[in-house]
Amino acid sequence: MRKITQNVLKIADLIASIISSRDITDILKVAILKMDSKIVELDFSNVEFISRSAAHALILMKEDLQRKFFNKKKIVFINTNEYVSKMLRMIAANRVAPKSKPDFKAEKVNIINLT
Amino acid sequence: MKNIIVEKLTNDSLLTQLVSLYNTFKNVQDGEDLEFDLSKLTWISPLLVLPISAYINSTKSVSNLTNCSVLVSEYLRIINFPESINSVSKLEEAIQVHKSYIPICKLKKNFAVERARLESMFSKMIFKVIDASAPGFINAIYYPITELVGNIFEHSKKEEGFIFGQYYPNKEYLDICIVDRGRGLSSSYKEEQGFDFTDEKAIRMVMGGYSVKSDVERGYGVWTSKRVVCEGLRGSFILLSGSAALISDQGRDKIVELPNFYWQGVIVAYRIPKPTNLFDISEYVE
Repeated sequence: MRKITQNVLKIADLIASIISSRDITDILKVAILKMDSKIVELDFSNVEFISRSAAHALILMKEDLQRKFFNKKKIVFINTNEYVSKMLRMIAANRVAPKSKPDFKAEKVNIINLT
Repeated sequence: MKNIIVEKLTNDSLLTQLVSLYNTFKNVQDGEDLEFDLSKLTWISPLLVLPISAYINSTKSVSNLTNCSVLVSEYLRIINFPESINSVSKLEEAIQVHKSYIPICKLKKNFAVERARLESMFSKMIFKVIDASAPGFINAIYYPITELVGNIFEHSKKEEGFIFGQYYPNKEYLDICIVDRGRGLSSSYKEEQGFDFTDEKAIRMVMGGYSVKSDVERGYGVWTSKRVVCEGLRGSFILLSGSAALISDQGRDKIVELPNFYWQGVIVAYRIPKPTNLFDISEYVE
């Protein structure tokens, strides 16, 4: 695998300005592992939004890469906008102290009765 | 090939659209080749037209627009019904010509970067056509789209998903529909966790935040999206899979049985009124 000497990955250039799906971490992981540097900065300049799911996947990826024995990487998020920062913080906090989920209740009806 | 006459919508409520969708696909064997006759329609809604488009794209079905009004057939042409658009360049081209209409988009699992860019552009266009200045509203547009589209590629086991939206400036609301033709909710629980859930039970589990994956940190996407739409923005929300649907409207949740109907996959549709006040999604997604 050819190593790359720079240590910054620009998310908006590599993927898109709105980050939606968990599977973007597959792309990021490949790019990160190609880099020589032990510290990789994920640059969120021009990233407007990240979904809850993608933020969760990103944090899991970060922890996973930091835990590795070989080719360990420290991942740093930089240039996150206010919303992206808040989302990443919220997910990290929820990992430590998960919020309760809803008690969903709904009455049951037949569509015939709605027509 | 069986001929299906799509009935005219009697009013613009999401419930009416659901009933029309039900009548369209009632007594259809999934995968059966159909000819959809749209000539009775006088206007088109995302909840009706997107599932038809997705069905045509995944079978050998066709649409018949021969006797449609000029307005309806022109609109269907502009939104690329039934073929859809599947690349950023084609979407850019389409919105150069018709700035208020966003075509039906087909997102493909195997092209993750192209998919992310197409979805980004779609979401930005939706926000642009609403032309809302309420601070924070942009996140309320992006949140449900990103979560619900993301679910298609995490759970459906299908290579493609569909998204379509229309803003109605006179009525000041936005309708969005997201569709896949994948394994559906109950099969996802069965295949991932071994649970034998009915379609109704599977919807209840999704809305209770129980992910089909065993990770307790997951399972937030759908119910938090519904909270943003219904509690945050006072909109309405429909989630349909197999033979059951959830309708959330005006603070009430109803699970609707759909006899003699089966949708292979998942359909989500929601309506958001144009906001006027400051909106912060944080309290709805935590």
